[in-house]
Amino acid sequence: MADAVLSARGFGYSYPGAGRPALSGIDLEIGAGSFTVVAGESGSGKSTLLRAACGLVPHFHGGEATGELVVGGLDVRENGPAELATVCGTVLQDPESQVVMSGVRAELSLPLEHRGAAPATVARAVEEAALVLGIAQLLDRQAATLSGGELQRVALAAALVHRPSLLVLDEPMSQLDPVAGEELVWLLRRLNEEWGTAVLLAEHRLERCLPAADRVLAIDGGRIVCDGAPGEFLEWATRERAGLATPGARLFSLAGLKPLPASVKDARAGLRSAGLLPPPEQPSEEPRRRRRRARRPVAVEAKGVWHELRDGPAILAGLDLRIEPGERVVLMGRNGAGKSTLLGHLKGLMRPTRGRIERGGEVALLLQNPGDYLVHDRVEQEAGAAAIARAGLGGRGDAHPRDLSGGERQRLALELVLDTPGPVALACLDEPTRGMDPSLKIALARRLRDLAAEGVAVLVATHDTEFASELADRVVLMGQGEVIADGPAHEVLSGGWHFATEVARVLGGAGGALTPEQGAALLDRELVAR
Amino acid sequence: MALVPVYRRLPSPLHSARASVATLYCASLALAALLYEHPLVLAVLAVSVLLAAAAAGVWRGLVGSLRLVVPFALLIVVVNVLVSQRGLTVVFRGGTILGHRLDVTAESLAWGGMNALRFTVLILAFGGLFSAIVDPDELMRVMRRVSYRSALAASLTTRLVPVLARDASRMGDAARCRPAPPGRLEVTRAALTGALERAVDVAAALELRGYASARPPRRSSRPWSRHDFAVAASALLIAALAIAGRAAGLAGASFDPTVTLETGAAELALCVAFAAAALLPFAAPHARLGVARG
Repeated sequence: MADAVLSARGFGYSYPGAGRPALSGIDLEIGAGSFTVVAGESGSGKSTLLRAACGLVPHFHGGEATGELVVGGLDVRENGPAELATVCGTVLQDPESQVVMSGVRAELSLPLEHRGAAPATVARAVEEAALVLGIAQLLDRQAATLSGGELQRVALAAALVHRPSLLVLDEPMSQLDPVAGEELVWLLRRLNEEWGTAVLLAEHRLERCLPAADRVLAIDGGRIVCDGAPGEFLEWATRERAGLATPGARLFSLAGLKPLPASVKDARAGLRSAGLLPPPEQPSEEPRRRRRRARRPVAVEAKGVWHELRDGPAILAGLDLRIEPGERVVLMGRNGAGKSTLLGHLKGLMRPTRGRIERGGEVALLLQNPGDYLVHDRVEQEAGAAAIARAGLGGRGDAHPRDLSGGERQRLALELVLDTPGPVALACLDEPTRGMDPSLKIALARRLRDLAAEGVAVLVATHDTEFASELADRVVLMGQGEVIADGPAHEVLSGGWHFATEVARVLGGAGGALTPEQGAALLDRELVAR
Repeated sequence: MALVPVYRRLPSPLHSARASVATLYCASLALAALLYEHPLVLAVLAVSVLLAAAAAGVWRGLVGSLRLVVPFALLIVVVNVLVSQRGLTVVFRGGTILGHRLDVTAESLAWGGMNALRFTVLILAFGGLFSAIVDPDELMRVMRRVSYRSALAASLTTRLVPVLARDASRMGDAARCRPAPPGRLEVTRAALTGALERAVDVAAALELRGYASARPPRRSSRPWSRHDFAVAASALLIAALAIAGRAAGLAGASFDPTVTLETGAAELALCVAFAAAALLPFAAPHARLGVARG
């Protein structure tokens, strides 16, 4: 490719002390102005490839690189991150660790000042980058006052302020809510189209970014196993790695429809041309269902719970919620709706300013970052042998908890909080699927279903509608500290725009179908009826 | 409430002044506190810092700093009383411990009180007001021409302290969620390990911003604003008053053998002049004109 911004020939890399290479035999060319998505499960080598493109591998992490990788005409083995930064902007996962200055304007100025740019050049570039990325109103703000989405945009602006030809992003949406994540994808598409910046993006939630992509690379075991347009990738994924296929593609595959769609728009067009697009479901006039107060045991009940800040608004405003043993409830709502605060109250981490909470037993709470629970040097110091075995870590008692993978940490932390002296009435999990690949989500959903089958109520706060549809038999929507909808998953998750699965959006909520299997069954019935 | 306030841009003359000038303002107040031992002068300086903070909208931040100051100030008084042998006016006769008489004198109490007051002014001016009104990024840009690495370390500290505090608070919540919560020491150790991991991530981010090939920033020729002039004039006036008053022997204070404080019209005038000079940026004509909003 004549105008390649990245070119690899037999590139391989091993981390220091690693038994096997993280990347091997990578042959790749990324063209100028392309938008490429890198797909793969956790530990497949996606992040390593991206870190090699920006020079962190091998210069920052050490280890051994073989073969050739050239970015913007610079060989990564001979040029470090500072040199490569002139041609390659990089955005990593955690927004908090990427913004290094206190103020936004200083953060955007830093890369140019490091290059010795004149003050007038710096000022102009900062203003332009801020305007293009829609963060002009943040320029005089302090980083400590920004939300995760705002911080990620600032990090993106700092990576782009000197207009590199290649932008590398390693799961930049893993810490963001869906709205901020989708905004970021469309911002990248606009940059790609208007500035011609080539984008190389690694992400687990492919349904978010495939509509913007020209090309998808699938990586497994450090090797490229698929390289093609989004449609070709989806064909490959449905055959070889069902976990990587988007819900829309799985719906079409199960229903025997072709071509597999990369976006909701494509899917609806495909159904329309096949004459299978169901008429739009009319939204219910009374979305909020008042639940019957049966004389049944309660796992936990919040009665008129208020959480009012001394100098601020009410986070919870007279909230009522009753959860019965064995129920699988998903709690949804935009950022700031009060989900995490409610979980904290149910656990007893804070006291309501008004109202009360009744508990039918112990409440276990797994917060967003499982690593926060692990404070010892060995796994066996963290929990008893039974809990370690339940976490699937038998035989790894000597391992350091920080050496565990993300999924292993989460399993261990979950068993830790469930290992109570008394019976657990309710297990609460706060955003457990952030940054998780599909196979780990499936394993987590299975464990939570097992818990519910044992009579433990499960309450999960999440933005992930696909995970919610796999797990929940009831969905509670929160807004402004109140419950604004409460009902069976197939009702709540099929009738909205934002709080709806991809399949529900494709089918317009028809038949309450949420998962590809339910959607395909609906389409089969439609075909039979015709 | 944080013990040390975090800088946030607010619409005040002190925030609108350039970082070097705002630093000079805080330094002049600290200089005055170092030059005088007279409790009245020190008390006026402490009140002036608090009034300036209130006028700049950072009063709550300085109240947080007072939580740090008060225990240390009390400790200074106690240590002085126990250690200092000065003074003739015994107010409490203690016993003899290890050959050392523990008599408490009015003079040692006054000496301890004066040092506590001086410590209070220094912390309020440099721990509180400075942190609240001086943009650390702008200060770093100035300092980078002198020592890039030191300035960057200081800037990163300012940025990361609130982040690490949030990390530690989260870990504390996680510990409370465990059926058998780990000890404070274990959580602290884990929080420190987490801080090191975050430091590695930040180092990677710095590398990606071109840190390894960083050059000194070019000098910027931003014109001086009315607030730069007003705050600089205030700082120079405070420093000049402090030096001139000291040279003229005003506001003398002696704590041995008895407490002697000069309290004439000249001392009162000096106190009034310090307060007026400290509040000058807020009282100047058009003091609110052109202050940047946060």
